[in-house]
Amino acid sequence: MNKIKVSFKVNNKDYEIETTPLRRLLDILREDLKLMGTKEGCGEGECGACSVLIDGELSLACITPATQLEGKEILTIEGISDKDGEPSYIQKAFIDKGAVQCGFCTPGFVMATHKYIKDGGSNDETKIKEALSGNFCRCTGYAKIVDGVKEAIVRHNDKEAK
Amino acid sequence: MKKVVGTKVKRLDAYEKVTGKAIYGDDINLPKMLHAAVRHADIPAGKILKIDTTKAKNLKGVVSVLLHDDIPTVKKVGPIRRDHNVIVKDSVHFIGDVIAIVAAETLETARKAADLIEIEYEEEQGIFDPREALKPESKLIHPEYKSNLVVHYPLRKGNVEEAFEKAESSDDEIIFERDYKTPYQEHAAIEPEVVIAEPNHQVKGVDVYGSIQNPFTTRKVVSIFTDLKLNQVNIIGSTMGGSFGGKDDIINVMACRAVALSLATNRPVKLAYTREQAMKEGYKRHPYFLNYKLAVNKNGKIKAMKINIVADSGAYSSQSFFVTWRSVVQATGPYEIENVQTDIKAAYTNKPYTAAFRGFGSPQIIFAQESMMDELANELGLTPYEIRKINGFKQGSKTASGQALTEHKVSLMEVIDIALEKADYHNKLKEFEKYNKTSRRFKKGIGFSCSYRGSSLGAEGVDTTSAIVSVQADGSSYIMTGLNENGQGLRTTYAMVVAETLGCTMEDIQFLTSQTANIADGGPTVASRGTIAGGNAVKDACDKIKANIFSVIKETFNVTEMTELVWADNKITNPQTKQEINFADAVQMTLNEGINTSAYGWWKSPDVSWDKETGQGNAYFTYVYGCQVAETQVDTSTGKIDMLNMVAAHDLGRVINRTGAEGQVYGGVAQGIGYGLLENYSVQNGIVKSENFDEYLLPTIKDIPNIDAILVENPDKYGPYGAKSLGEPTLELGAAAINNSVKFALKKKYNANPLTLERVFLGKDLVKKVRQSEVVSKERCEVPNINSKSNSETVPEKTTDRVSDINITVAKTLKEALEIMSNKKHWIISGGTDVIVQLRKEKYHKELLDISQIKELKITNEIDGNIVIGSACTFSSLIDNELIQKHYPLFIDGISLIGSTQIRSRATIGGNLVNAAPCADSVPSLFVYDASVKIESTEGSKIVKLSDFILGSYKNILGENEILTQIIIPIPKDKKYYRYFFKLGRRNALNITRMSIATMMSFDDNNKIDEVYIMPGSVFAKFQRLTNLEEFLVGKEFTTDLIEKVIALLDEKLESEIGGRWSSPYKIPVFKNMLRDALLTILEEK
Ligand code: FES
Ligand code: FES
Repeated sequence: MNKIKVSFKVNNKDYEIETTPLRRLLDILREDLKLMGTKEGCGEGECGACSVLIDGELSLACITPATQLEGKEILTIEGISDKDGEPSYIQKAFIDKGAVQCGFCTPGFVMATHKYIKDGGSNDETKIKEALSGNFCRCTGYAKIVDGVKEAIVRHNDKEAK
Repeated sequence: MKKVVGTKVKRLDAYEKVTGKAIYGDDINLPKMLHAAVRHADIPAGKILKIDTTKAKNLKGVVSVLLHDDIPTVKKVGPIRRDHNVIVKDSVHFIGDVIAIVAAETLETARKAADLIEIEYEEEQGIFDPREALKPESKLIHPEYKSNLVVHYPLRKGNVEEAFEKAESSDDEIIFERDYKTPYQEHAAIEPEVVIAEPNHQVKGVDVYGSIQNPFTTRKVVSIFTDLKLNQVNIIGSTMGGSFGGKDDIINVMACRAVALSLATNRPVKLAYTREQAMKEGYKRHPYFLNYKLAVNKNGKIKAMKINIVADSGAYSSQSFFVTWRSVVQATGPYEIENVQTDIKAAYTNKPYTAAFRGFGSPQIIFAQESMMDELANELGLTPYEIRKINGFKQGSKTASGQALTEHKVSLMEVIDIALEKADYHNKLKEFEKYNKTSRRFKKGIGFSCSYRGSSLGAEGVDTTSAIVSVQADGSSYIMTGLNENGQGLRTTYAMVVAETLGCTMEDIQFLTSQTANIADGGPTVASRGTIAGGNAVKDACDKIKANIFSVIKETFNVTEMTELVWADNKITNPQTKQEINFADAVQMTLNEGINTSAYGWWKSPDVSWDKETGQGNAYFTYVYGCQVAETQVDTSTGKIDMLNMVAAHDLGRVINRTGAEGQVYGGVAQGIGYGLLENYSVQNGIVKSENFDEYLLPTIKDIPNIDAILVENPDKYGPYGAKSLGEPTLELGAAAINNSVKFALKKKYNANPLTLERVFLGKDLVKKVRQSEVVSKERCEVPNINSKSNSETVPEKTTDRVSDINITVAKTLKEALEIMSNKKHWIISGGTDVIVQLRKEKYHKELLDISQIKELKITNEIDGNIVIGSACTFSSLIDNELIQKHYPLFIDGISLIGSTQIRSRATIGGNLVNAAPCADSVPSLFVYDASVKIESTEGSKIVKLSDFILGSYKNILGENEILTQIIIPIPKDKKYYRYFFKLGRRNALNITRMSIATMMSFDDNNKIDEVYIMPGSVFAKFQRLTNLEEFLVGKEFTTDLIEKVIALLDEKLESEIGGRWSSPYKIPVFKNMLRDALLTILEEK
């Protein structure tokens, strides 16, 4: 099996790795870079547990092959926290609103929320639900996740206003 | 004074979970760890003639391959009956049986080796219906037990026969009978199952990690399997990614396999399942067949109830003994009935086995009995509320098992009243009735269901649990418990009990992950007993510590009774004298006296009883009550149901953590909605058809409505601070409430869940008839392929589910890509949303060509009155593109409904067209806009109409060396077009299109139809516009009459082209409705 070299950034750190071309970003993150926060729930692009941002687009690490990583900037849950290593306002809002139960889906939801707020997402419940509709949660019934996102938007707007 | 119990508290483990730092089973990697894979059976029933492991063993990196005979010790396990072979010997009982296990240096190698094992079978006809299995002439699935019957529980109260005889001869009474059917349900915890085993040389045994729901059960099973003593097996649970009852028996057998490989290789071994493997082998909720027969007084009083239930146990007995026992206790529902006769039997079949799932034998009976109560009310001219008021449990009522409900508050009518009031039920009944009279297409419904449920294990087994609380010299403390945090929030609840009892603060409490080696067997974390059992054990430990501390400080305070002091806010205070001591100082004083400030807590349930012959006894020591109200809207054109609202009122005794309790309600209600509307684990002739989340439909965020969670508190004398249970009741009521709501909306009755489109629309299921021998290949759309998949031979399924060893070449320019294609046929990959998913399932290897980085293919431009779209443009880029928005709103309508944000940002228009799935959402509107595609190769290029490009399901005209490079769409005339796009699917997001319709119309100055386009999706074998209908319409005046005429034309076409198909009884009338809705909507808009 031939190998390819790819260079990319993950959470602002440069990486160059040698791997097989169809290796999934998910395996590269978890196995090579030991970034375990991105989870695998289905491996076929249905559940959203492996959501990451690639060049700012919300993407699924389980169906992204190594060949498509060259020069990309990838953001994972490990890169979401605030500069001082504290959880970000989104993460704090999730904690405060009880948006987490087993937590396996949580990194994916945090990433989807991050993308939504970054794009200027509003507090409109329908829009929030649309933005999170690619992520399954089996524990929470989604109610407190929506509360968490709304709270995060409020905190984001407060921050912006300051 | 700050109270802790009953407040909203943040989870102790939330921080590590939101930051991605929590360590789940699959996140554990040990030094020198091997990876394991299992080889599942390929048939549902038969004999294994030969197993050849040569190729697997010869694969580089394979360290061990084990078969049944390689296991030196006990080979069968099971909670009651040891009928479950960890690795089967020579007969296959279901498709998820494991025939061999492999350990290798990498996961990829292990899974590949598992595929390379060659097995010869003699396939036998399986038994797939438990009623069939119980017939005397049926083949025995486990001959050693001499019967396919796993268990039979009878219950006899009063004299049912006499009551029926009396009813038959009386004018005041009627006999009422109903049959119901409930399906399999898959737990679908988002984390798939995983275990890791490691030799422990110190104890000459093993340590086991992983997603383990019940560590003590796993320990027992591993110990039996290996012949190791209990103290040689240590189970260390990892953070659980959800369980819901699902990570018990399956994890235990997986643990045995990992342990066997670990002992054989003397290395750590990880066995992680893919979603497909987990769904195939993992156990489910039992499907039930239920028959209820009643004798009822015409005024509504139920005199007698006779219940016959057959449960599908699948290939193994597993937890059927316990699950069906709960059913027999609660089968009548919360109704006081003098004469009851219940028989429940569980039987073996050659299908996935069934065991614990949140609800545990209650969602099935509640679906039946609560659906029946509404139908009975209807029959007698009573309201659903009245029938429950007449029969429902009151304080002191006697249950079917003869238990008098005197020891707790019987709050059935209380929760019903609270829920109905919150839902504004009585007014909505009238309001919806009125709405439904005038609304043509949509009907609204409201309905409810109620239940009672025994807390904890009851007479099912010994009901005890353990906890350790250890207070340190500075007042901080540790907790360890024998019950497990599965994601439900137990740790936080226990910490709150400690904080409340000792008066210390939450911040000062740490929870230690328990290991089976460090604490006494706390029994299983099941039956919603986490709070009541574990909370009591924690409180017991705290009370002991408190007594020790008190024995020292009472002199300082000069008091004699504990009750004279208040323990709160990290202080101990005498309210009389205002004297206070810091909690930490008090602890230090106690330690200084040489007195222990750590304690073991223990809880044993109050006495319960059960008589096996008669089904009489005090089954549980206390009960909880709940009521849920569902509001729905039904699309009568299609049978699609949308949830409008849910109200859930649950008496949980006492709230400990309000945030946690509400979370339990929301989560349980959502699972109940799944059970009622969507989730259908499909097994056809023993073959699992729902292997992953594309086929097994979980509710998405858009399918769950607002949920009002109401926590009703009637403290129980046996609970810690009065708390009882909540987790399971929240799931068990939804399906019945939804069914009652839909019945109200449509004035029809339904006797099976989930309420699929066909069930609602036709009142029955449509099933494709297949024989066991026809193992049908997986289709992602619901139109049968006229040909097999494009350009590919039929290939057997693989278990690998990994694709790393397939080669991809990346092309940077179109020229380069075309050259590569001219040398050798490559499969083209761009977004990968289809290709990678398909590759996981196919055994042979293709060469891939990645075109996602070719700039020319990612541009959209206006050229000569056309918009030209590069084939590698993603759907999200098109949705955001102003040119597309301006000219092709109908196209935007269609592609906005594809998958999810994540899918749309990857999937490309070229991929969608080349894949040519009948359900491809970009196609119908492109047909309407008369798009063409450009095909290129090194030999040149050509432009063909899209309608000529797609030949049929998954078939197109692309040659071996060609690439689809552009989509060319003429810019429509600048005039007013009316448009309508509708996509029918079962969910509101991540939807596979069942059928769709794209319609566009314009009118001339005389108000006659000028242009009209009607384009169905997923209806015919080949994509086609309905030109004969269009021609018929053009030039005519647009009226409702005309619409009916064109529908008649459509009917002829549908009948002649798809009339014979198994799905046509649904598809034909529904597609006619879809066209009618399309045209009427445009007519209205005009
Ligand atoms: S693991 Fe990637 S979407 Fe489920
Ligand atoms: S919190 Fe468990 S899946 Fe979402």
